[in-house]
Amino acid sequence: MNENNVFLQIDKLTKNFPGVKALSDVDFTVNKGEVHALVGENGAGKSTLIKMLGGVYRPDSGDIYLDGKKVTIANTRQAKSNKIAVIYQEFYLIPDLSVAENIFVGREPRILGKTFINWRKMNSDAKKILDRLGIDIDCKRFVLDLSVAERQMVEIAKALSVDARLFIMDEPTESLTEKEVVKLFEIIDELKRQGVSIIYISHRLEEAFKLSDRITVLRDGKKIGTKITRETNEEEIVSMMVGKIVKEYFAEKTIRADGKEVVLEVKDYNIADDVSDINFKLYKGEILGFAGVLGSGIHPLLRSIYGISPRTSGDIYFENKKVDIKNSRDAIDLGIGYVTEDRKNEGLLYDMSILHNLTIIIIKTLTFFKGLFIRSKNEIKVFNNISKVLDIKYASIHQRIVYLSGGNQQKVVIGRTLVSDCKILILLEPTRGIDVGAKAEIHRIMIDLAKKGISIILSSSELPELVNLTDRTIVFYKGKITAEFNRENMDEEKLVAAQIGQNINN
Amino acid sequence: MERDHHYAIREYTMVKFLKLYEKIGIFILIILGSVFLAIASPNFFRADTIFSIITQGTYGGIVAFGMVLAITSGGFDLSVDAVVALTSVILAMTIPDLGIPLAIILSILFSCVVGFINGVLITKFGVNPLITTLSMATIVRGVAFLITRGRQIPISQSEFMFIGTGKLWGIPVPIIIMVVLFIIFYLLLYQTSLGRYISAVGSNESASAISGLNVTFIKIMVYVLVAFTASIVGVIRTSQALIGIPSMAPGFTLTVLTITILGGTSLSGGRGNLIGAVFAGIFISMIYYGLNLIGVQYFYQMLAVGLVLIFALFIDGLRGRYLEVARIRGIKV
Repeated sequence: MNENNVFLQIDKLTKNFPGVKALSDVDFTVNKGEVHALVGENGAGKSTLIKMLGGVYRPDSGDIYLDGKKVTIANTRQAKSNKIAVIYQEFYLIPDLSVAENIFVGREPRILGKTFINWRKMNSDAKKILDRLGIDIDCKRFVLDLSVAERQMVEIAKALSVDARLFIMDEPTESLTEKEVVKLFEIIDELKRQGVSIIYISHRLEEAFKLSDRITVLRDGKKIGTKITRETNEEEIVSMMVGKIVKEYFAEKTIRADGKEVVLEVKDYNIADDVSDINFKLYKGEILGFAGVLGSGIHPLLRSIYGISPRTSGDIYFENKKVDIKNSRDAIDLGIGYVTEDRKNEGLLYDMSILHNLTIIIIKTLTFFKGLFIRSKNEIKVFNNISKVLDIKYASIHQRIVYLSGGNQQKVVIGRTLVSDCKILILLEPTRGIDVGAKAEIHRIMIDLAKKGISIILSSSELPELVNLTDRTIVFYKGKITAEFNRENMDEEKLVAAQIGQNINN
Repeated sequence: MERDHHYAIREYTMVKFLKLYEKIGIFILIILGSVFLAIASPNFFRADTIFSIITQGTYGGIVAFGMVLAITSGGFDLSVDAVVALTSVILAMTIPDLGIPLAIILSILFSCVVGFINGVLITKFGVNPLITTLSMATIVRGVAFLITRGRQIPISQSEFMFIGTGKLWGIPVPIIIMVVLFIIFYLLLYQTSLGRYISAVGSNESASAISGLNVTFIKIMVYVLVAFTASIVGVIRTSQALIGIPSMAPGFTLTVLTITILGGTSLSGGRGNLIGAVFAGIFISMIYYGLNLIGVQYFYQMLAVGLVLIFALFIDGLRGRYLEVARIRGIKV
């Protein structure tokens, strides 16, 4: 390959976080006018890599060359001045300003000795940029009124207006409709023609194959390999992504559920726009996995079952009796526990102690004098029981929960549901954002609970977790159940394929 | 490196100082104030002076109990001064027909209805608590003027004065009322499930809803309780004046907020400090007393309250910032 044609070259880039090697010795190149797809499972190091290119993180070691010159990217401003534009999943547009204002924010064309904004020039310049990309959006519209896809296009136009030479797109199709995806692909083709380099990150392999010239696979912070797209196939890439699985922290495989006693049954469940025709059963003592990429509808479905968001139609049977769960209190009273994937915004009671965080659901039952006053002796007894089961590590029970590590915070949040004697536990990404040791403990806890007869729904984007822990795993794609595997016929490759909508026979 | 180290030490010292201030800050202020007043006035260390200062402090202190709950739940109530006035005029208008006990109950009930409406508007209609209660302040004040046609209404039953000016076992009744309410609110906030729920809602509303709490009910209860405390103060003040005044307690809301925040209740919600509120109320009353002693006019008192509020907010802001730093750096607090 022609050396002059290389735009970005990365040599032995390494980044460590406390206790984790997020990226080690990664080499990587992107040519001018090339679309280079970057794939890998969660935690493979994709986002660490792009954050270093975008100036969010600084590498511990390694070099970055742009157009043959060595550069340092210490902050986002330097990324911009080096002509690198990162289009993140969340957009950084100002909703109350117009499209043109957003494109030129901070460097608006001026008139009358820089006193006033030259609106006419700004609008016409914005229109030129949009036209160059073939985007049809009135540049006087407010960003507030734009669809997600339109916002993304404005973000791209904004990057182009500062003459970005390298675009990094992080899961750009995640929230787009199929039609919008087609439009995005046209824009990417147009950028390519103009000699711009693109790093394209996606869960969806089909997109990587459709768009890219080369594909690089990362796993566990290391580069596994780079393939020229038309010389490889999905099967090869998937096996590179999955590789050998670290199994040591998973417990032994044992069939726990007897597959007879149904605890929960969901029938013909629909939530407008999110899920349709969902039917499944949950057996006593079973760990049932839910797999699916973003947009699969798993989260809306589980929230709805727990009563914190509405449903359009469908029935829930709890221990063979039809139930109407109107809010979370109904669900809790039935014996359903729910552990959110968003511990920060929906889990922790920041200002409160570990003790109070753990007992909040059942505090009413720990009272005397007609349910009025809290009997703190009972409260502490409940805490000690749960803390023993979950092995929570703390300095004092009156310590505020924010001072605990992520793993221990998660144990408290799980413990909160367990104190209410739950029969069903819904866990969403229970090991997200916690270190490997704590992960193994959470896995042990789940198996222990299942052995005690508690049924668990485990929604996870970490496939090894599903393969090694669950008795069965149901795969969701675009709001529908598309596949179901049991312990014997489940492996990561099949799950990856089913998650991205490929039809497979199991 | 050197500079980083320097910063670390400064942060550490600051965190330690703020933790100490959280515990004893208000007492230090009171001691300093007492020393100052003792020097300035030979009459300061007499029982009736001290009782009078504490009695003055009960007004703000009692309503601050309610405000502590509101702020702990993540809300706010700016309508308390108007509720004091509403209680006052309803009392004065109904005492002749209903007699003292029934009139008190009725006026308190009406005030609680105002709190209920605040709560419903904030929870069911999702209106911002600041704006809701500020509008309610204007409306309630307007109603107080409307039903009295803007006049003050004298009360002829002089035995009613006992509540505001009488003494039991040698202690002024308002102080006894405050102590009783303090015990009730203390138990409520720290020893009952409702109190726990109020802290939870103020800490994280979504997490509370997921944990099965009835967030709407909890918040409405909070606003009813704030209005309840305001109406108690309305009764005490009306009893002292022996007259129903529709313009009673102008600017009182700001005094209550000052006392609440000076008393150590964090503006960000979740953590309330009732003991601090009692002493902050007394401290504000000491400032008033001191200013009277010097013989300055009323508007200097307003100025002083404003300054104290800004000081209290400043400390609260520092606290939020440095405790966050402490958390990130792993400094033990």
